[in-house]
Amino acid sequence: MNVSWLVAQRELKERIKTRSFIGMAIVGPLLVMLLVYILFSVGENNKPHWNVLIVDPAGIMENKILANTTGSISYDFANNYVQLKDFEKSKRFQKYDALLELNEKIISNKAAFLFYKEKPSFLFATSIQFHLERRLEEVMVGRFSKMSVQEFRGIKQPVSIAFRNLYDPKNESYSLSSWVGFFFGGVILLFILLFGMTILRSVSSEKSNRIVEVLLASVRPRQLMFGKIAGIGIAAILQFVIWTLLIWIGLFILRETLFPNMLHLSNWDLSEITSKTASGMEDSLFRSKAYNDFVELVYSRIQFGDMLVFFLLFFIGGYIFYGTFFAALGATSGSENDGQQFVLPIMALLIIALWAGYYAVQNPLSDLTYILSFVPFTSPMVCMVKLAQGYSLGEGYQIYVSFTILALSSFATLRIAGRLYQNGILQFGHRLRLTQFVTWLKNG
Amino acid sequence: MLQLTSITKSYFQKIAVDDVSLSLNEGEIFGLLGPNGAGKTTLIRIINRIIVPEQGEVRYQGEIMKGRHLAEIGYLPEERGLYKTMTVYDHAMFLGRLRRMSKEEVNRSLNTWLEKFEITSWKNKRIEELSKGMAQKVQFICAVLHEPKLLILDEPFSGFDPVNVELIQNELKSMKKAGKTILLSSHNMKSVEEICDRAALIHQSKKILEGSVLELRENRKDGRFAIKFKGNMLAFTHALWTGFELLEKEELAKDRFIAYVAMRGENNFQDLLKTLIGQIEIEAAWEVLPSMQQIFIETVTSKNI
Repeated sequence: MNVSWLVAQRELKERIKTRSFIGMAIVGPLLVMLLVYILFSVGENNKPHWNVLIVDPAGIMENKILANTTGSISYDFANNYVQLKDFEKSKRFQKYDALLELNEKIISNKAAFLFYKEKPSFLFATSIQFHLERRLEEVMVGRFSKMSVQEFRGIKQPVSIAFRNLYDPKNESYSLSSWVGFFFGGVILLFILLFGMTILRSVSSEKSNRIVEVLLASVRPRQLMFGKIAGIGIAAILQFVIWTLLIWIGLFILRETLFPNMLHLSNWDLSEITSKTASGMEDSLFRSKAYNDFVELVYSRIQFGDMLVFFLLFFIGGYIFYGTFFAALGATSGSENDGQQFVLPIMALLIIALWAGYYAVQNPLSDLTYILSFVPFTSPMVCMVKLAQGYSLGEGYQIYVSFTILALSSFATLRIAGRLYQNGILQFGHRLRLTQFVTWLKNG
Repeated sequence: MLQLTSITKSYFQKIAVDDVSLSLNEGEIFGLLGPNGAGKTTLIRIINRIIVPEQGEVRYQGEIMKGRHLAEIGYLPEERGLYKTMTVYDHAMFLGRLRRMSKEEVNRSLNTWLEKFEITSWKNKRIEELSKGMAQKVQFICAVLHEPKLLILDEPFSGFDPVNVELIQNELKSMKKAGKTILLSSHNMKSVEEICDRAALIHQSKKILEGSVLELRENRKDGRFAIKFKGNMLAFTHALWTGFELLEKEELAKDRFIAYVAMRGENNFQDLLKTLIGQIEIEAAWEVLPSMQQIFIETVTSKNI
């Protein structure tokens, strides 16, 4: 059996037995699920129920407003003026959370004020605006036309203007999909950092406890380094598979339990429902619209199959590319703590890669994004973003070019790091200096 | 069995091994001696192909040393370690498999060695549960697990108590009897004297001595003889008279001594014994050879001067 594979097997067994591996396999997905839950829950009101007093001295609303089937907002009417100080201090207004002030000019200027005690969420604000707008429609139709409200709503066509950047007509930069790519790229970088540090620690500890010399009598330094990187890499992939499975199960549970209504809404046709269903349902749909895109994105629009395949490829490429630096650093350092200062430049590169991903989300069509997608330091991150955004027709080859460059670069760094590893692994107790790197690189 | 020819290796312009040639015969125990930093470990690493020499070649059984030959070599480095969280069994299995043994072979060999050292109960213990001495036994077992034809031991006795030094020495003797070749680097000169057939002394990167242990000692003898006797020291001195010179004496107990004597004129050991018989009660008498320790110190000191 290949000795590298034996080394890899030992590393793998050692890793998966550690508490940190098991802890990360559980805590990681839980954190992701928590994040998803928080993002989903952003749409819900902070307060479960709002009592709103509508002050309407002109009686324009005729003490009526849309029925609120969700039960999250209750309305009361006051047909006299209410001073704000009274509303704030008077006992009889204590139960109200907000005061909606309507004056007689609302018919002409369509403006009203809402005074709140606790800042309402965006969705509460959009709900109450929706309710007021619908009731005003009824009042206006009654006063100024002979049509019925249903007839008015039948011909009313709200105009929606999508504001788009001239240089980004597809609005890719604000696409939620980009952030999914960013998330996948971020996971790659996170795994590279975590498992890269594991490589560093493992090599350093083999050096400091001197087992390395025993091993080197049977294994070439490059074989040892490759086996180590491979074993820890397989542990990382295993970790990712566990994450994927747990997150997939978690999303399924969320869909079936916590967010069933929300998810079904994503398939509803707003205009059809508007014309014939109860306003409560319409209201609920209106409320959910704001975060519906995210739900739809997670459950329907992401091409998880493609994403996962390329995720794996770019993860392997990126992990080997960066992992070799960590291995070389561990081998060349004089003690376990000595290499820590040289971790900073590698971390800086990873942070640059993260920034590159963010830049790609914001500027998908820029020349810099194009270049960064081919640079091996940043391509694992940028390509994930670009993949999530979708390559244009005829440009799909770019991802293969990026991967080929990354693979070739990984091969090159493997050779360079192998040289450093070979020359540094049996040097003990020294203080690592940059000049030593150069000397060891020269001494093939 | 093993030939090293003109091996040279330097690190950062400092020569670690300078034109060293050695030859090990099959079935012998060869001692590699030298002060710290002399270049012994570098030489051993070169034999094990851990580092590559700038000049010279290593031949194993007549062939240039290749990776495949390493499966026939056992190596116990001076700076040795173990994976602390692994069990003795897992450790042996891992290192045995690296030496291209099958799982069954590792199992069989490990059980034999554990039984030989009467430590079968350690098999499933984690290394961190073992004492230093116990861990060293495990390291030794891992080095010989694959029944190597050539065993290279760098300071194998360091850290062992006298009982375990004896145990390891006996094992090495048995292995020699079984036809194995052993290269032993050690500062423990007593052990070298006891078990090595031949030895070489490395100093300041160069080989300065090589030969059989007996030859090396014989070549440096200075005509001193020791007599262990019961009797009166005055009578002993009188008996020596002018034919012999008393160099040194050790009083072992009341009227029991070891006296070191040099010959004068044409007198020899036989004459000395004849002179002394009847004057004192001789318990033992022998020609004093310099110890390897003395040879080591004298040679190194003279080279330093």
